Amino acid sequence: MAKYRAWLGVILVLTIAAVVVITQIPTRLGLDLRGGSQLTIQVQPTAAIPTITEREMEAVQTVVEGRVNGLGVSEAVVQQLGNNQLLVQLPGVSDPQQAERVLGGTAQLEFRAQRPGTDQQLQIENQVLQGHVGELAALQATLPASGEINSDTQARIDKLQADVTASEKAVAALFEPSTLGGDKLTDAIARPTSGTLWEVVIQFNSEGGNEFAEISKAIAGTGRTIGIFLDNRLLSAPTVNVQYAETGITGGSAVISGNFTAESARDLEIQLRGGALPLPVEVVENRTVGPTLGRDSIQRSLYAGIAGLGLVLVFMAVYYRLPGVLADIALVIYALITWAAFNLLGVTLTLPGIAGFILSIGMAVDANVLIFERTREELQAGKTLYRSVESGFYRAFSSILDGNVTTLISCLALFYFGAGLVKGFALTLAIGVIISMFTALTCTRTLMFLAISLPQFRRPSLFCPGLTPVRPDTVRP
Amino acid sequence: MKLNIIQQRGLWWGISTVLVLVSLVAMAISWQQLGAPLKPGLDFAGGTRLQLTRACVATDSCTEPLELADVRQVLGDQGLDSSSLQLLGDDQQVLSIRTRTLTVDERAPLQSALDEAIGPFDPGSTQIDTVGPVVGKQLLVSGLLALLVSFAGIVAYMSLRFKLDYALLAILALAHDVIITAGTFAILGLVLGVEVDSLFIVSLLTIVGFSVNDTVVIYDRVRENAKLSPGSHINDIVDSAVNQTLARSINTSLTTTLPLVAIVIFGGPTLKYFALALIVGFVAGAYSSIFVASSLLALWRERTGQAYSDDPDGSEPQPEAQS
Repeated sequence: MAKYRAWLGVILVLTIAAVVVITQIPTRLGLDLRGGSQLTIQVQPTAAIPTITEREMEAVQTVVEGRVNGLGVSEAVVQQLGNNQLLVQLPGVSDPQQAERVLGGTAQLEFRAQRPGTDQQLQIENQVLQGHVGELAALQATLPASGEINSDTQARIDKLQADVTASEKAVAALFEPSTLGGDKLTDAIARPTSGTLWEVVIQFNSEGGNEFAEISKAIAGTGRTIGIFLDNRLLSAPTVNVQYAETGITGGSAVISGNFTAESARDLEIQLRGGALPLPVEVVENRTVGPTLGRDSIQRSLYAGIAGLGLVLVFMAVYYRLPGVLADIALVIYALITWAAFNLLGVTLTLPGIAGFILSIGMAVDANVLIFERTREELQAGKTLYRSVESGFYRAFSSILDGNVTTLISCLALFYFGAGLVKGFALTLAIGVIISMFTALTCTRTLMFLAISLPQFRRPSLFCPGLTPVRPDTVRP
Repeated sequence: MKLNIIQQRGLWWGISTVLVLVSLVAMAISWQQLGAPLKPGLDFAGGTRLQLTRACVATDSCTEPLELADVRQVLGDQGLDSSSLQLLGDDQQVLSIRTRTLTVDERAPLQSALDEAIGPFDPGSTQIDTVGPVVGKQLLVSGLLALLVSFAGIVAYMSLRFKLDYALLAILALAHDVIITAGTFAILGLVLGVEVDSLFIVSLLTIVGFSVNDTVVIYDRVRENAKLSPGSHINDIVDSAVNQTLARSINTSLTTTLPLVAIVIFGGPTLKYFALALIVGFVAGAYSSIFVASSLLALWRERTGQAYSDDPDGSEPQPEAQS
């Protein structure tokens, strides 16, 4: 019995830990529950670039990330999907139309000369812009991880976002329009110079080289800058040395140097390369759920989950008596540990995910049902209570294992091939199945053996109603 | 209660055959009428679905249900006559529009036109789903692939734990469950216009996992009984194995179905049909495990001269000992 007391301790600790985790780490809710937009963006190959490689995807991803940042949605996620798609998640986006419009379309990279006499203005506008950007970033850093934003904060975010956009426009207005676009840039490479400093080499085609020579000639030595804009946002504004005032920077290639670290040089490289890609991107899937609808779904699923769990608990207690009640306790522990596991592993809970969780409750019960049925059979065959319980667990094990493994195989297939929502379901069901194996084989087992170690519970009728009493250890068929 | 599985196997097989045939016929009719065995939903067919809810608190516009004729008028103006419409919600205040795939520049004017004509709608309760044709095909292919792979995985695992013939018969029972579930939704699609989406494939896979579980429990018992009484005929072994596990089979089906019934009652529209598919599949799965998979195993063993499992070949790997 000491063994089971030790196990009881372990189970208690786990349960308390689970409760702590649930209260401390918020559950991550999917966009279908908290509201927001999920967009799948397809990168289209063109005649010039018929196949899309990892390198191009990286560049396009940077461009899309830049656009997403421009939307000012906190906790937005951009990730690659397959070889030519990007998944963009925009929690709580207030204007899905605008988001979809901004994210689609080919990147716009431009090299534009600064207008004469705007030096001071550029500095001021840039400072204002940096101020807004910094304030926005600081505000977004304070947001709770759960994504609950009150309307005041939302209003402030929207206001700052508008300020940033306005500032960006003001900055862009200080540069002359230009025809030197990303289509004429052939490459951008970050490379180290001396010590820890880095620089970025850019390379134009012949037409671009000529245009760049013109622009650089016009501003060389004036202190004015060449503005490099991606989607109308200023990426970098290098000056051109006076020595190029005669001819401009010729040869189609130039080096942007300055206070680049390895990281910032690499950022600029990818942004430039992304801007140089004439790859159109198209929004091929849009799933947008309003926040009110999401809250509604949570409530409904909560009712469904509680009602489902309640029905199962009542059934078990009524049908299986004492073991049923013990299994009920194990089941509640199971639900707590599983929920905690979701929070701990950072599983994003979607609507199908909740369904998978509710379903796994049924699965968790199955193991107990197998064990108790077996125990009853052994009791009816005239074994003692202790031996019946023991062989109930022992003999049911292979069925439980086989059943769970086959379910896990399905989950694995779903997870591997499925997308988005389907993955969520497979993950929650799989976690549920694995934890249910544990709770059925340890929690129920421990509780059962502790219960039959107490004399008042050692009555076979508590385990199997209507059992014709057989004197222990006499009959064996 | 004692079931005579073997004796009445003609009856059990008859029921299954009729159900499977009805399902296949339903799918064939659906194929003829809709061009697909099941009515494909947005996920597979592609298109745009807008679900708009009238903002009822702010304005007093909710006294009357939405008029479909008004909506059609707006859609006609936008050149979207062939769209399908549906009113949802208790007091018909929720509008669901399904159109061809709309780009954002087509969708935005439609939304504002609708808002003006019959709105205002609550932006917090708006749901937009757009699935491009490419994505639709992708979702279908990946779903079917997942189904095939899990079938193969289960065959491999069961051949390892049992034997190949057990595995193949279990798969046969699985196919039975999947066909009946699909058939039920083909009928629902024809009668009520119910569509299938990615979640339907999820439900099929879950059914596969659970149903094979039911079959495994019975086969496990058959194997154990065969070992305990080597001289018995396979028919008797199967009969007693099914009856010994019957309470378990019924109770497990009950406890898994109870939460699903809760989802059907409380769950939103998305999960309702998902839960329904699971209920149909689980019931079919329990039936096929108890009546079909078991009797087929007996028949197969008898026909292949393995009615008495005292041959050394019949010994199976033991589960690891649990102390």
